[in-house]
Amino acid sequence: MNRPRPALELKGRMLPVTRLRVLRDEAEAIRAQLQALAQQMPQAVAGMPVVIDADAATDLRALLAAVREVGMQPLAVGEGPLAQMARILRVAVVSADTGKPAAERPPAAGAGRAVKPDLPPASRVGTRIVTQPVRSGQQIYAEGGDLVVLAAVSAGAEVIADGCIHVYGRLAGRALAGARGDETARVFCRKLDAELIAIAGIYAVSEQINDGPRGVSAQAYLQDGRLMIELHQV
Amino acid sequence: MAKIIVVTSGKGGVGKTTTSASFATGLAARGHKTAVIDFDVGLRNLDLIMGVERRVVFDFVNVINGEATLKQALIKDKQLDTLYILAASQTRDKDALTQEGVERVLNELAQSFEYIICDSPAGIEKGAFMAMYFADEALVVTNPEVSSVRDSDRVLGILSSKSRKSEGGDGKVREHLVLTRYNPARVAKGEMLSVDDVKEILAIPLLGVIPESQSVLTSSNAGVPVIREENSDAGLAYQDLVARFVGEERTHRFLAAPRKGLLGKLFGSQ
Ligand SMILES: Nc1ncnc2c1ncn2[C@@H]1O[C@H](COP(=O)(O)OP(=O)(O)O)[C@@H](O)[C@H]1O
Ligand SMILES: [Mg+2]
Repeated sequence: MNRPRPALELKGRMLPVTRLRVLRDEAEAIRAQLQALAQQMPQAVAGMPVVIDADAATDLRALLAAVREVGMQPLAVGEGPLAQMARILRVAVVSADTGKPAAERPPAAGAGRAVKPDLPPASRVGTRIVTQPVRSGQQIYAEGGDLVVLAAVSAGAEVIADGCIHVYGRLAGRALAGARGDETARVFCRKLDAELIAIAGIYAVSEQINDGPRGVSAQAYLQDGRLMIELHQV
Repeated sequence: MAKIIVVTSGKGGVGKTTTSASFATGLAARGHKTAVIDFDVGLRNLDLIMGVERRVVFDFVNVINGEATLKQALIKDKQLDTLYILAASQTRDKDALTQEGVERVLNELAQSFEYIICDSPAGIEKGAFMAMYFADEALVVTNPEVSSVRDSDRVLGILSSKSRKSEGGDGKVREHLVLTRYNPARVAKGEMLSVDDVKEILAIPLLGVIPESQSVLTSSNAGVPVIREENSDAGLAYQDLVARFVGEERTHRFLAAPRKGLLGKLFGSQ
């Protein structure tokens, strides 16, 4: 019995994407900001996969051109003012905000107790604990859970977790919590000197973090979609 | 059992070869039988600093390729009968260093030497990788500037994940920080990182601080490792470093800028 060899294979995979949200319909300002970003973080911007959201309608063609010009790769447009034009241009349209299909959204708070699904309880993924320093050029990813680093995370190193990130040494590299979109994830560190902090794709680079706490114990979390970085005192 | 020690950094021109030459000389002068190997294929200069460049017949690659025996290729130091140099080839390309070949040479050296010092080339490519892969200990040479520290940090990451020790699961490579070309005056002006800054970033034990010194250049031009210069601050700093390595206590010197002016001259500067 000889079955033909399959020509295709389908795999469910998570891809970290950046959501790029247009706040004002001002083509020149958008272009200038993109270029500035590309200069600031050339490596991050080159090839960066983005999904475009917009608060107001804007010229999608020009926007896509500007995004591509700096080397980003627009994958899709979020449901909203740009969706219709996207369909005309045959650009993929995904649900707004979290990127999850709307049906899978958790019930809104106050909607009563969620009905227990007919599934076995979610198995808990263990926390990943790293005892050695994470050095420049190294990357550590805690898939499906939290990451605890007992030493320092050097400049040029990157720590990523689907859950929270705790760094007990100095955090001088990049920390990306909630890598698959968990907006409740947080980053904690004993000494904040980070190059970049991101939660569920919302990030701040060192220059922006600079205005806040520096060299002290700090935490980062999302509040109404905004990244908050604060001194953490008990 | 022989100890293999790599002198590495990531960045070039920070003082690896200078450190390898003085470190090996210092160990040998204390009676330890020591071999120092130049892994910088194509850019050999350890033999120049050790003053043996005119006695190189066979090199490291010849031994790896079986074109010469180790005995033929090892150059004995003129002053110290405990010190031997294995030169790098100037003509071969980097692929000449195979992992099996390097391992074979190191194993053979380990039978008769106490210390084997591997002077690594810059970068994190094959030559540097070969120099560090078999190491038991590492001298991580860093200059007090951000890019050098960053590269050293990177090398430390590789040492902790891609060396024979870490792969075999039998412990980790013992790491030592060597801060070279330290210029206290520029540190004071904020133009360079301080010892404490570097220690904080790299978080490994400090073995020695070597001051920026004119005598390094003059002695390497003369083919004499600077540790032999009794009147040079860099030479004394390397002597301290070797003493600490073998377990003696030495306080760190040359960390402050020499005092200038009449008072400084009257009371001596240190
Ligand atoms: N402590 C020092 N003071 C002054 N110059 C130094 C010092 N250490 C090294 N140098 C100089 O720096 C240059 C590079 O040194 P070298 O040991 O060849 O570095 P590497 O092997 O890391 O490339 C050489 O010209 C050397 O003379
Ligand atoms: Mg060198």
